[in-house]
Amino acid sequence: MSQVSLSREEAIIGQLKARFPEAIEETKIDRARRVTIHFEKDHVQEIAMFMRDELGFDHVKGVAGVDLPTQKKIEVLYFAGSYSNAEVQDFIVILKAQLPRDNPIIASVVSVWESAHFHERETFEMFGVKFEGHPDLRKLLTLDNWEGPPPMLKDIKFPEMGQR
Amino acid sequence: MTTEPPSPGISISKTAEPSTLDVSVGPQHPGSGHCRILIRVDGDYIVSADPDIGYVHRGCEKIAEYRNYVSNIPHLERPNIADAIHLNWGYVLPIEELQGVVVPPRGKYISTIAAEMNRIMSHLYGLAIMQGVFSGHTTIFMWAFGDRDLFIELAEMLTGARLTYSFLVPGGPRRDLPFGFEDRLSRLLDYFEKRLVEYDRIFFSNPSVIARAKGIGVLKREDAKKLGVVGPVLRASGVKYDVRKVEPYGAYADLEFDIPTFEEGDSYSRYLIRFEEMKQSVRIIRQALEKIPKGPIARKAPLVAPEGEATGRVESSRGEITYLVMGDNSDKPSRVKIMNGSFRNLIALPFLVRNVHVADMPIIYGSLDYWPVEADR
Amino acid sequence: MYEGIKHIFKHTFTMKYPYQKVLLPKGFRGRHLLYMDKCTGCGICAWICPERCISMVPVTDNKEYPQNPEKRFPQYWYARCCFCHFCTEYCPTGALDYTPDYELAEYDRELLLWSPERLSRPPTNIGEYQSVFHGKDGNQGVTFEPVIKQKSK
Repeated sequence: MSQVSLSREEAIIGQLKARFPEAIEETKIDRARRVTIHFEKDHVQEIAMFMRDELGFDHVKGVAGVDLPTQKKIEVLYFAGSYSNAEVQDFIVILKAQLPRDNPIIASVVSVWESAHFHERETFEMFGVKFEGHPDLRKLLTLDNWEGPPPMLKDIKFPEMGQR
Repeated sequence: MTTEPPSPGISISKTAEPSTLDVSVGPQHPGSGHCRILIRVDGDYIVSADPDIGYVHRGCEKIAEYRNYVSNIPHLERPNIADAIHLNWGYVLPIEELQGVVVPPRGKYISTIAAEMNRIMSHLYGLAIMQGVFSGHTTIFMWAFGDRDLFIELAEMLTGARLTYSFLVPGGPRRDLPFGFEDRLSRLLDYFEKRLVEYDRIFFSNPSVIARAKGIGVLKREDAKKLGVVGPVLRASGVKYDVRKVEPYGAYADLEFDIPTFEEGDSYSRYLIRFEEMKQSVRIIRQALEKIPKGPIARKAPLVAPEGEATGRVESSRGEITYLVMGDNSDKPSRVKIMNGSFRNLIALPFLVRNVHVADMPIIYGSLDYWPVEADR
Repeated sequence: MYEGIKHIFKHTFTMKYPYQKVLLPKGFRGRHLLYMDKCTGCGICAWICPERCISMVPVTDNKEYPQNPEKRFPQYWYARCCFCHFCTEYCPTGALDYTPDYELAEYDRELLLWSPERLSRPPTNIGEYQSVFHGKDGNQGVTFEPVIKQKSK
């Protein structure tokens, strides 16, 4: 079985590391066309602008939150994709930032990637992550009068759903 | 490298002009589906629209952490039950990647045939309700639903259920093609191609439909890329992007088909593109029925998934669905994130319904083929 | 317009339901049929059910079941069942089967809780049917060998 060449993935990682040597913490190539990059949360807007303008990733497919209660962190994931650049059109680059669980605040990327508008609203209401600079941050999917805690956190259990 | 201000229309201002009126195209409305669109109207023109979704939010992602991998399949295919195979397949692809299970070729062909049948069914549903009923054309509603029922009966022969298939488990499909299925499907496709000509005469070439939909809600190519829309909405604006060609899964790498695109980006081209996609689906099914190999259809998959995460995507009838599945060495996933076509297309609605007549709003909303249950999960 | 008028003279597709019924294919996913001489009471059906509507209950009758010494059989709550039939496929002994019986409506909600004896009676108002699972019509079935979790009493 010949090894699939991962040169395009390594090129992307090389360019990001050269431009942001201190902000990129860890990189991983999961398989062909999937690159995971852990970065420091304060540089999110610069990294997003670099990816949009230099590498051609012009939209996000989604913004997800993952609750890690054992490490006391909430991770925010950005799934970046490209329509314009034919070389990286089949890539999904997953950018991950870790936020402290008791005060999760990160700058919003809506001014760079407009496609993140509704995704950031959903992550705000489901995990409690505040996106600074979002023009319209309010609840999206839950009830208008929902006063409770963010529903997707792991310690919020709804007894009707059964045991985990 | 600059940041850009938000596009007009997407952020709703809280203070209204005195000459405007807030109208709630609410959940109790024949033209809104299960969601609420709060439009701000100045005379007969819409100034801004605020989609107030969440009426059918059930917490699918939270429930998915409490069920094991196979039990999750009926839960996760329910958000868009008219297009269930694609939601099912998109969930199963990352699990197979995590566990290292490879589906045999015959299983891939069966999944492809079922998925393309489902695409035709879902486009017929969209044609009937979103494009037909929302614009007042009830004949196409009756005809499209009648033809869709013939496909549903074939799917019942293949999977045992009319709409709630749960057909693909990690490892491959659950059942093989029954005896007499290929013959019946070919005859149905011959009949369906004749019906598509009749649809064209009564709906797509109908002068009143053309007058209502041409030139309305134009989404230019650069805006489509910036907003991140998917599926037929993206291809009707001129961007040739389809996951079946970009990252082939199933049997699509061996089959020949085209990706139709249109340049205008208005509502009429969004109607036409689903018509063209149905023709391509018929072509794909015919090729798959000829080329299907013999052999086993599925492999046994383990019941636990190792620690790690995987991302998989499929092209459903409403757009690209991306699933993120994180395993933690148990039989239940620790996180399932669903990024589906309707939720990603939602941003086009407040962007397009600005400075249009109130009567154009159902046309634009129907041409986006927004399914509220899929977006809310 | 001509297209529409042409269809007035064609025949209609409506079936007059209680008098004409749809012919169902083999392997149609209706309600379940339990073979009590094959069930071992392992509880895999209860574990895999997405809606958690199966529970294993003891059966008190005078028969002997050598493969099931504790006499535990599944009880179905059809108010919740989504008819996915994962239980039928994952059963290691083939004790559950498909039936084309779908007329299950009741006036009282409690009657939707089907005991094992009621599940083991084949439907009387349907004609001959064959099951896909046991491969009687030459269909290629899929075999699964899941891990059996022994439930400790």
